[in-house]
Amino acid sequence: MGSFYLSDHVLDGEVRVIRVGGYVDFDVAPRLKQFIVNRIEAGDRRIVIDLSDVGFMDSTAIGVLVGVLKRLGEVGGFLAVACANDNVRGIFEVVGLESVIPLHGCRENALAAVA
Amino acid sequence: MASSDARLVRECRVPAASSALRAVRRHAEAAALDFGFGRRERYAFVFAVNEAATNAIRHGRPDARGTIGMRFDAEGDTLVCSISDSGCFNLAYDGEIGPMAESGRGFRLMSELTDQVELSSTPCGTTVRLHKRRPVETSSAGG
Repeated sequence: MGSFYLSDHVLDGEVRVIRVGGYVDFDVAPRLKQFIVNRIEAGDRRIVIDLSDVGFMDSTAIGVLVGVLKRLGEVGGFLAVACANDNVRGIFEVVGLESVIPLHGCRENALAAVA
Repeated sequence: MASSDARLVRECRVPAASSALRAVRRHAEAAALDFGFGRRERYAFVFAVNEAATNAIRHGRPDARGTIGMRFDAEGDTLVCSISDSGCFNLAYDGEIGPMAESGRGFRLMSELTDQVELSSTPCGTTVRLHKRRPVETSSAGG
């Protein structure tokens, strides 16, 4: 896993897919938060965050995802998170968020969840 | 306080800046490898060290050179990481946060991913010590 990166695109004119890669820690979590908040403020309501290339995600990054879930909930939006990495999924379970953050094992399932 | 059979594995100081967290993880990974942790233990240990260092950077105070301290000791079958800063710990923590809280999970993660978390704070500084034991080997000789 390399350096942190972000990219995004829109599928079918409706679903914003945000791909995150690398190590997501306190150093880059503010960039992740601002990136997603900007899209919500621009009107995106169906968001998939694809963590397939994330090798490490700390508590500040998890906090960002919780914040995104709250913001989308306030505006009637939908969030799904694709995460196949067992280490990263395990961290969500340690803090009891596996049933709060809508986690999916692959991007296709995450896309189906917000369709 | 290290026990009498403690052996210093590694000691260093890193800048009290978020950009130093990558170096923090590198030091923790190297210490865990030297100690002989497997992949699963290394991930948990590095994660916990990253959380402790993040707290020191976010909430602590650097020394006059703008750094925080890292120290790794092998104490028998346990690897101990000490993260020190020059601040006085005053973060309110009651052990429970709501599921929708956007912060406050660091200590819980440290506690779950290591065997023991010690916090000591004086007017001169704060140290968090993370204890991670080597797992007991099973008798099976699988590859």
